[in-house]
Amino acid sequence: MIQPILQLESVTRDFSDGRTIRRVLYKTDMSIFPGEFTIIAGPSGSGKTTLLTIMGLILKPTEGEISIQNERVTHLPENRLATVRQQKYGFVFQQAELLPALNVIENVVVASGIQGQKVSAGLRKKAAELLDGFGMGDCLSMTTQQLSGGQKQRVAIARALINAPALLLCDEPTSALDSESSTIVLDALKQLSKDTTRGLIMVTHDPRVFPYADRLIKIENGSIVYDSRSQGAQEA
Amino acid sequence: MRSRVAFKILLHDRSTTAGALIGVIAIVFLVGQQISVLFGLFTYMSVLVDHGGADIWICSKNTDNINGAGYIPERYVDRVSGLAEVAWAEPLLFGGASLVTRDGKNEAVQVVGLRNPRGAAGPWRFYEGGQDGLLEFEGVTIERLDAKLYGSPQVGDSIEIGNVHVRVSAITQSVKGFAGRLVFTNMVKAHEIIKSPPGRCKAVLVKLNDGVNLQAALERVRSVLPGAEVLSAAELSRMTRIYYVKNTGMGGSFGLSTLIGALVGIIIITLTMYTGVLQRQKDFAVLRALGARKLDIFIIVLAQSLMIGIVGVFIGFLLLAGFLSGTLDSPLPSYLPLWIAPVLAGTTLAMCVLGSLLAMRKAISVEPASVFR
Repeated sequence: MIQPILQLESVTRDFSDGRTIRRVLYKTDMSIFPGEFTIIAGPSGSGKTTLLTIMGLILKPTEGEISIQNERVTHLPENRLATVRQQKYGFVFQQAELLPALNVIENVVVASGIQGQKVSAGLRKKAAELLDGFGMGDCLSMTTQQLSGGQKQRVAIARALINAPALLLCDEPTSALDSESSTIVLDALKQLSKDTTRGLIMVTHDPRVFPYADRLIKIENGSIVYDSRSQGAQEA
Repeated sequence: MRSRVAFKILLHDRSTTAGALIGVIAIVFLVGQQISVLFGLFTYMSVLVDHGGADIWICSKNTDNINGAGYIPERYVDRVSGLAEVAWAEPLLFGGASLVTRDGKNEAVQVVGLRNPRGAAGPWRFYEGGQDGLLEFEGVTIERLDAKLYGSPQVGDSIEIGNVHVRVSAITQSVKGFAGRLVFTNMVKAHEIIKSPPGRCKAVLVKLNDGVNLQAALERVRSVLPGAEVLSAAELSRMTRIYYVKNTGMGGSFGLSTLIGALVGIIIITLTMYTGVLQRQKDFAVLRALGARKLDIFIIVLAQSLMIGIVGVFIGFLLLAGFLSGTLDSPLPSYLPLWIAPVLAGTTLAMCVLGSLLAMRKAISVEPASVFR
């Protein structure tokens, strides 16, 4: 039986403006499995990004537990959570969010060295190979300003993969791209999702992306209203 | 990698980096320049003591600065010369007089009379001529930096000081005093110019034999001359400087301008580094999301402030060296003791860190979740 990489148990999230408390994520149970391209979809304000940031250990849940590879991480201190993020997560943001001060290859290796680790020649070679795999082998020394939106996003994916993460979290990575660049990025992500050691979660509100999903989860008003996995199980 | 990120951000944000650098350079140069002028004045205050070549100075009782010394009997020289600890003892006479310039104006000068042939406490640097010039009966030295004021007399020219005709026998180079422009002559001529009481001098300089314990020698001389103030050269030099710092408001004035220089620098550093962090908030949020701890962000900003500090200190010291070199033989007093350089560099780096505290606080408070909004 395949073990889940990420588990959420009764996770909720409230936001407060000082006077009123607003629940943006209702009690959620979810398991993410390796080798699956999971898409979480929902309209703006549905709570999908809140869910993603909770899964990414960036936002703490108000209630509930999060486990990664069977290790409970909910109550770890902030510094330890940062280390877990560095070691087990790869992030691809809506905008590529590359550091303009660094060149392409430095933007990739920064994810490995940001806690003061030495960036070895081997790591740089791995970064170069990752970039080459995304057709960016000739751009290693380029500045980020010289890249197109699609190229930036491919560099961001390489950055997300440099630490060989167990989970790849993507926050609407194609929303700022034209259709051609979107297809390239989605094809790359689909390919990556086939790795049975890694889970891939993507948040989107774009239905054109759904065909890429192995599993589709729909969220509305802070609650999961559809999960193709449980739907499939029920139908079975 | 953290320091590389810090360095690359500095290179990328050139205007911010330049602004912070200007702040550091301002601190080093303005503070260093103020300190060098203060120490330059210090050297002027006690110039006779510092260049006297003596170990012990005998002055009138209760002397608290060399320029305020009263007259003492010249025979003190004989009283101490016979002591076993003493290698030599020489009288020194100094006092104010008026020098008549070529166009008939009067300029106040400090006439220093030395006893020949040793000429202890004589000029230490000559532009033209030498100490031998003071062996001449009417010979005096004038300072090159003051010569223009006197009408540019040359060696061999006659001038009038204190209604006495003397002849310029040598020109000194950067030999300046605090209490007046220094003119050296022999003891006899100095008595004549200053019109001092016969058989009196302002100080007796004592050089000890090699290996003699200074404290023991001081006690010995004090026991021989209980009516005089017997001080080591270092003590008299220190007392003289303290006297002027206390009684002229100079310390407060220089302290205030040094403080203002430092404050201006800190404010520039604080504002520019804070602005830099504001511009880079998104980058710091991305780094936090990728796994950077608050400590890592702190280290990046700290590294930036230290890099700016080190480069700024280097440039500041280059400018300061230029200033010191340019004022070396000018009327502007400037002297920077070597020990000041590491103190100033260390203090400036500390100020850089202090100036970056606000920026650090802002940087580490950045929420990684903001990348997702």
